Amino acid sequence: MKTYFKVAGILGLICAVAAVILAWVNSVTAPKIAEYDQSQTLMALEAVSGGFDIGEKRFDDTSDTVSYIIPLTQNGKSAGYILELNATGYGGAMKLVASYDLAGEIIAVKMLSNSETPGIGKKSEDPSYMDKFIGTGGDGEVPTSKSQLSSDQAQAVSGATVTFTGISKALDYGSDYVRKQGGR
Amino acid sequence: MMANKHLHELTKGIFKENPTFIIMLGMCPTLGVTTQVVNALGMSAGVLFVLLCSNVMISLLKNVIPDSVRIPAYVVVIASFVTIVEMVMHAFVPSVYKALGVYLPLIVVNCIILGRAEAFANKNTVLDSALDAIGMSIGFTLALTLIALIREVFGAGTITLIPIGDWDGVVSIPGLRTWPVRIMTLAAGALLLMGYLKAFFGWYSEKKQKRG
Repeated sequence: MKTYFKVAGILGLICAVAAVILAWVNSVTAPKIAEYDQSQTLMALEAVSGGFDIGEKRFDDTSDTVSYIIPLTQNGKSAGYILELNATGYGGAMKLVASYDLAGEIIAVKMLSNSETPGIGKKSEDPSYMDKFIGTGGDGEVPTSKSQLSSDQAQAVSGATVTFTGISKALDYGSDYVRKQGGR
Repeated sequence: MMANKHLHELTKGIFKENPTFIIMLGMCPTLGVTTQVVNALGMSAGVLFVLLCSNVMISLLKNVIPDSVRIPAYVVVIASFVTIVEMVMHAFVPSVYKALGVYLPLIVVNCIILGRAEAFANKNTVLDSALDAIGMSIGFTLALTLIALIREVFGAGTITLIPIGDWDGVVSIPGLRTWPVRIMTLAAGALLLMGYLKAFFGWYSEKKQKRG
């Protein structure tokens, strides 16, 4: 019995020391990480705003796909929206921001956080990856399957179909979502 | 004699006991990250740091940790180092953190690290454990870089290195860039190549043994 306590005590001690060290490192790094994440999000919003003025953020609890919506305005008139979208890729959850005009046409898209495979699904972080979606969603449909892409574009997403499907479905949902807002 | 032993601990991981090709440890990250050369280098850097720290720490604690709970104790030590690396990188070098992505936390379950703790560090001195860690990491780096180089050159027609200044770090190979052998970047290509390389290294070391 005594040896059990001793063994448990030693393991507990190792865990406690590790926890204290980790807590200390976390207290040093957490504010810096929060600061960095905020600046990244701000940069992403600027990048997709398409030159319009960025309005107040509104959170949406009713939708799983849309986490928040930001109206875009020009000279005080409503011009479109930025949405933060949750998509599912090969490596789990992905977050992206996309801007749409009032008709639901995609202006710009940027991948935020994801755990996709480097060299395969991670290619979706390249700005050029999102080119195939820009201008779709209004009159033209958002391409949600490879057959809707040109052969070059289809080849670029081959091997990373799950990433592509995840992104395109979220963008397509966003397009409908924006149209339902009716310029509000 | 003593110096020779230390030298042996350092160099054995590079070829004779190469963790990837001979001991076959850490196959999961090996096959997973080797789509681009830069990923192989990043993963290797992470492994070097964590392996060195954990080997030294476990060698120091080898008389304290009871035998019956040694594996949980090693896992706690290794996971703590990985988490520290992750938090420090995220806060101070976010670009490197971003590039390594999911592979940083994966180092926790990299069996090279647990394997070396179990097979070497808990029986040997701190110095030898540190040398073992460095040697094994060099062997791991060379193996990963070799696999990544072959896969990227044939599968994508590029060699992606670390971007410096204006240079984006990508070397293009004419011909293969336009007509890549795409299977090489996919999982099947990784297994295929691993099989060939393993066969080659098996053949080579057997030949060497026969010769004397």
